[in-house]
Amino acid sequence: MEVLKATFPHLAHLDIALGFLYPTLGVDIVPPPPISKKTIELGVKLAPQNACFPLKVTLGNFLEGIEQGADTVFMVGGVGPCRFGYYGEIQKVILEDMGHRIKFVLLDHPRYGFRRFLDALRSMTGGRFSFIRAKRAAILAWRILRFTEELEGYLRDLRARTWDPQQLETMVTQSLHRLRQVSSPVALDSLCREVRGEISLLPKDNTRDHLRVGIVGEVYVAQERRINFDVERLLGSLGVRVHNSVSTVEYLLHALPFFKSTEKLEAWRLARPYLNRFIGGEGIDSVGSTVRYAHQGYDGVVHLYPFTCMPEVVAKGIMGEVGRDYDLPLLHLAIDEHAGEAGLVTRVEAFVDVLERRRKFGRKKLGVGG
Amino acid sequence: MRKVFLGVDVGSVTTKFVLIDGEKKILNSCYLKTSGDPIVAIKHGLRHIHSHFPGDAAIRAVGTTGSARHLAGVVVGADIVKNEITAHAVAAITRVPEVRTVFEIGGQDSKLILIRDGVVEDFAMNTICAAGTGSFLEHQAVRLNVPIEEFGKLAARATQAVRIAGRCTVFAESDMIHKQQLGFGKPEIAKGLSEALVRNFINNLASRKTIEGPVVFQGGVAANQGIVQAFHDFFRGEIEIVVPPEHGVMGAWGAAILALEYASEGTSFQGFNVVERDFQTQSFGCEDCPNSCEIVILKEDGLLKALWGSRCGKWTPEIREKTGTKNYQEPTQYAGKQ
Repeated sequence: MEVLKATFPHLAHLDIALGFLYPTLGVDIVPPPPISKKTIELGVKLAPQNACFPLKVTLGNFLEGIEQGADTVFMVGGVGPCRFGYYGEIQKVILEDMGHRIKFVLLDHPRYGFRRFLDALRSMTGGRFSFIRAKRAAILAWRILRFTEELEGYLRDLRARTWDPQQLETMVTQSLHRLRQVSSPVALDSLCREVRGEISLLPKDNTRDHLRVGIVGEVYVAQERRINFDVERLLGSLGVRVHNSVSTVEYLLHALPFFKSTEKLEAWRLARPYLNRFIGGEGIDSVGSTVRYAHQGYDGVVHLYPFTCMPEVVAKGIMGEVGRDYDLPLLHLAIDEHAGEAGLVTRVEAFVDVLERRRKFGRKKLGVGG
Repeated sequence: MRKVFLGVDVGSVTTKFVLIDGEKKILNSCYLKTSGDPIVAIKHGLRHIHSHFPGDAAIRAVGTTGSARHLAGVVVGADIVKNEITAHAVAAITRVPEVRTVFEIGGQDSKLILIRDGVVEDFAMNTICAAGTGSFLEHQAVRLNVPIEEFGKLAARATQAVRIAGRCTVFAESDMIHKQQLGFGKPEIAKGLSEALVRNFINNLASRKTIEGPVVFQGGVAANQGIVQAFHDFFRGEIEIVVPPEHGVMGAWGAAILALEYASEGTSFQGFNVVERDFQTQSFGCEDCPNSCEIVILKEDGLLKALWGSRCGKWTPEIREKTGTKNYQEPTQYAGKQ
């Protein structure tokens, strides 16, 4: 049987976990080069103008992956009021129109046809592999993915608090690099232990109470720093501790059959007084996570979404109500290929100034409540 | 020696300088066209301030703001570099302490700032759509063959209102031409355009925000009586709109006030002889990692002065320190100041 050479879209550090999983399943992978200006240009040129930004960027990934020799594209699909479900289909047609003779494997949610799901899953693997080995590999890949998110969490939380953010960044980058070489659970355990130890030893500034900002929004834009102008780092450099409510782990967990993400369920429960139905994408999560940040006493919330993203635009309107009820400042940032960094930086800086001044002059004085 | 504070606001269209004393009172100011060359504009402004500089004074601290705030910060030597939203709000609160809303309409962007009890509560900034900014008006004034300075007076002469459609400059323009073809006079068209600008400003920035008076209206466009009247009409006179006399230089004034408030030991001010130095901007693409950052270098008399644009931090502080350039502003510093 012919060995597939597959490429896939980038999403945060998903490529590290997949880079470990796929060889075990008998598939050669060709990870697309990291997202760059060129990736975006390629995608924007070929995608429909009105399509949202993640479609364009992932299309750019595929094109660059194909350039590097991939003959197969893996993409996830979905059904629902958000256009995301249709991305794969559109991208497939675009690639075919360009004359690329590639195999396009679209993995849809099992809820919408278990048989189709299994078929797609089968064609995403090389066909011949040991089930036990695959299961072991999948579990380890899952743990690797979780650890990449843990590392990102350290960055968000500690950038503002450590005396030497550059050292922290280097530490995380090196750990991610070492994570690519991990091949056994034992090796992963020892790496985790070592990194956690190193990070806990970093000297931290505990003398002041840092501002805390939560990030909510669409799963792709809120996580992919090469798209969102690395807004987390910008906030960190302004002295803000950041938490991101969006996580690939939770997203995938929730999409798996027979699993549910407790984080997501909690967000949906909290969203209920404002929004009690699924509006597609991560709309309801954005509302619920905003409520959660309000309960946890965060100073503000940054909402990231692709320009023209319907679920997030609906959520944006509803989040305004949450902000008024809890007296929580919100900053909405719509991102697409036209978004300029200068305007974004000015708004984020001004937002942090607002949060600081509110702390300094007391937010209670402003009359809390809706 | 009297302590004075300098504020510099380098915008896309105009550059403003304000010199204040310790009581935040404006001693001297100037308002210049940036004309696409901020460094030349900065030098002109410095020359003006220098030629009117009080003999018994010394600059204690400098603040910069505006879209070229980082560049201005390095060239002039700023002690604080602040975004224009904060700077405008600070100036408005100083001028009208009971202010609850600030409208700021500049050349290429516009801002709406909500203030409660002297603290900025919320803001909106429009950077991509020109429909609610000065450039919209300027462009249409050219089409009407009316100098922009005369535009407000022209609108005031209108005897009736003509509605010009358009949430977008392009549609507004085609509708304006259509209304001209129907035979409406220039004053009516000017009034219609002013009203369209006000509608665009409100639609773009104020959706779902409660506008309360008093409103301080500032920025270059506030000089236009037609727009002030259109705002007045829009709120049916129910909201008080104040146009401060220093409306054109509020950003620079705010930067000066911030410099005063945040002043610490010593100043980074480079001195007035900056005007004799030669500044050059170059850039290169760093291909050491997938970020592919465009690194911008500012050189002063051929020597490296500042670097911008590096995401990984490779091209920042160390390089500046090595060349002996004063570390003009580390973001974490001002976040920590109380």
